[in-house]
Amino acid sequence: MQFSRKNLGIPYFIFLLFFVVAPLIVLVFYAFTNGQGQFTLENLTGFFTDANTLGTLFYSLAVAFVTTAVCLLLAYPIAYILAMSEIKTKSVIVMVFVLPMWINFSLRITALKEVLTLLEGNLARYPFLNAVVGITYDFLPFMILPIFTTLSKLDGSLREAAMDLGADKVQTFLQVTLPLSVPGIVSGVSMVFLPAMTNYVVLDMLYNSTYIMGSLIGSYFSAYNWHGGSMIALILLAIICLFTLLTSDGEETGERGGALL
Amino acid sequence: MLKPSKNGTLSGGIRTALCALALAGACAGGAIGGALTAGPLQAEAADKEDKPIILRVCNWEEYIDLGDWDEEETIELDSGDIIGENSMVEDFEEWYEETYGRQVKVEYSTFGTNEDLYNMLTLGDEYDLVCPSEYMIMKLMREGQTVPLSDHFFDPSDENNYYIKGVSPYIKRVFDEHEIEGEPWSRYAAGYMWGVTGIVYNPEIVTREEASTWKILDNPKFNRQVTIKDNVRDSYFAAVGALKADLLTSEAFRNDPDYAGKLENEMNDTSPEMIAKVQDYLQEVKDNVYSFETDSGKADMITGKVVANYQWSGDGVYSLDQAAEDDFDLAFAVPEESTNIYFDGWVMLKNGIRDDADKQHAAEAFINFNSRPDNVVRNMYYIGYTSVISGGDDPTVFEYADYNYSAEEDEETEEYDLGYFFDEEGKEGEYVIEASPDMLERQLYAAYPPDDVMRRSSIMTCFDEEQTAAINQMWINVRCYNIRKVPWWGWIIAAIVAAATCYLAWIRIREARKKS
Repeated sequence: MQFSRKNLGIPYFIFLLFFVVAPLIVLVFYAFTNGQGQFTLENLTGFFTDANTLGTLFYSLAVAFVTTAVCLLLAYPIAYILAMSEIKTKSVIVMVFVLPMWINFSLRITALKEVLTLLEGNLARYPFLNAVVGITYDFLPFMILPIFTTLSKLDGSLREAAMDLGADKVQTFLQVTLPLSVPGIVSGVSMVFLPAMTNYVVLDMLYNSTYIMGSLIGSYFSAYNWHGGSMIALILLAIICLFTLLTSDGEETGERGGALL
Repeated sequence: MLKPSKNGTLSGGIRTALCALALAGACAGGAIGGALTAGPLQAEAADKEDKPIILRVCNWEEYIDLGDWDEEETIELDSGDIIGENSMVEDFEEWYEETYGRQVKVEYSTFGTNEDLYNMLTLGDEYDLVCPSEYMIMKLMREGQTVPLSDHFFDPSDENNYYIKGVSPYIKRVFDEHEIEGEPWSRYAAGYMWGVTGIVYNPEIVTREEASTWKILDNPKFNRQVTIKDNVRDSYFAAVGALKADLLTSEAFRNDPDYAGKLENEMNDTSPEMIAKVQDYLQEVKDNVYSFETDSGKADMITGKVVANYQWSGDGVYSLDQAAEDDFDLAFAVPEESTNIYFDGWVMLKNGIRDDADKQHAAEAFINFNSRPDNVVRNMYYIGYTSVISGGDDPTVFEYADYNYSAEEDEETEEYDLGYFFDEEGKEGEYVIEASPDMLERQLYAAYPPDDVMRRSSIMTCFDEEQTAAINQMWINVRCYNIRKVPWWGWIIAAIVAAATCYLAWIRIREARKKS
């Protein structure tokens, strides 16, 4: 057999087969069967009729939404200032924001726990706030980086043109810079929103004893209910797919918009 | 020698991998918490003509002496000095070859919770000897997964049968009296460590009386300052104790001729009404406690974040020791209502042993070696839990308790009788420790609880599938956010967000269509 470039894809194909396709098949199998291995839709209907599982979905979405909003509000100004500034050490400053990611995750959260205890007195009184602070702390770099990259790639002459044509600073930002940075925002949001729904380790470590989607799945598995757990995982996967579909569409229009201008 | 077929092991491995992946996939995007932890600790294999026996042991994490002690750690007892130089597993391999002339190679791995172990077994992992808690032993026995211990194991005339020679008469009675499917535990299981559940508390803030009841968990005085265990069984037991406190502490109930039996029935009450009550109670507890924790409780006690902490006695001893090193005094109390006495024990598994007599012999030898008094002391020192072995004729284990807990000579002392645990025929009354009064509320009280605590201790049985499912569901309900609790403004915000998302999506789709 002759070696062609296509063959280089084989390892990745095998990887996909074993680590993506096979687990997915197992997941779907468990999600639609009961303990006796018979086909059933009970797991699906069970999820949407139980006030507790629905409540968990609501709570997870709420945590993820608030976290993403806070991340965006924090990250955009930082990325904007960095991208627009003339300093030569820009990349070093960006590095400073990414630096926490090099420190072990559980160590960071443990440290955060002490800081929050100092600020709040008793950590356990503000479980929702803790979850938001913890996840924001954890995922902020994922929001800063894509926005920073998009903004620094932005052609400065576009802004100059807007100014020349009589727009003030605010108008330039709202009508030129912001729309052009949408792709960065979108990829930042999708990198924060989805993990925030499932990242229960942060909640555990910061003593929020309410389950979110990730911990709910875990609890089903440790209660030997693999079928219910698989179904919840599958539902989560469906939500993620839907979300990705929406955002990838947005990215395309964003790019086209840039090209048109 | 019968060997497990290669194919069997292989497909088991793949199955494990696939299912582990399914789990990983399930957490897509999010961080994956403590997955099944299994680190094989393989000893070096020597090339010999005689094939070594492979013994696959699976035990709790950090639940056996790994050796490598410092010189100063040597425990000096009247019966001789004890120090762990090598790991217990290596010492066993050496001892087995010296004693029986056969090589044995131990493949040692660990598990994090009983449920993890059970899931690992369901996925096809094969082990010869495992060490779960009593309810998991009962579950495995009921499912016919266990191999009975051989008659030889119970023969006290063999000098190497350290288990039967040394097991505490108290523990032996419990293992003989408790049956599952008509067979006593002792036929299948050999005990390893044991303890009771209780409350570790800070005596400067919490009185002993306040800590001696399960009601401390919802005591508003300690709002957000108490932790509870993050597992359904321990929480259930505590809730039942608190809910039935009036009955359990009444004189009439206590003086009932069948107190022990009735107590066990009450504490294992899984009627639907009881489960519903427990759910309500735990929901209250959830809003009152600091957290549901698995092992952060110890550290939080020492840093002063919490003032009381639901704890297993073995971990309690460890917390107290750690705190004492920082000059911080903690104490241990056992609730008046009832306490859960638990055991971890060795059982041999059918899918590992498979009628292999050599393997079974090695497995039983492993239990015996870990029951040899000096090894018992090593394990107890290393883990901090209390062994089921009292030592029989050998005084080492009692000497170790005395060494740990007896008072300095110039202190005031009180007598603390450990007869119920250590008593041998003809030696009654000899097992008394002269301890300082402080000790009686601290480590000694936790390591070897007194008679009255043992009287109000109850086994928590292995519930059947229906009960287990009901209790697990109750637990999930407690931990989940009920959608009925969403306030009206929550719905309004959700509606606005949903509408905005739909609007944005619609605009995008329209624009995309226009452009194409």
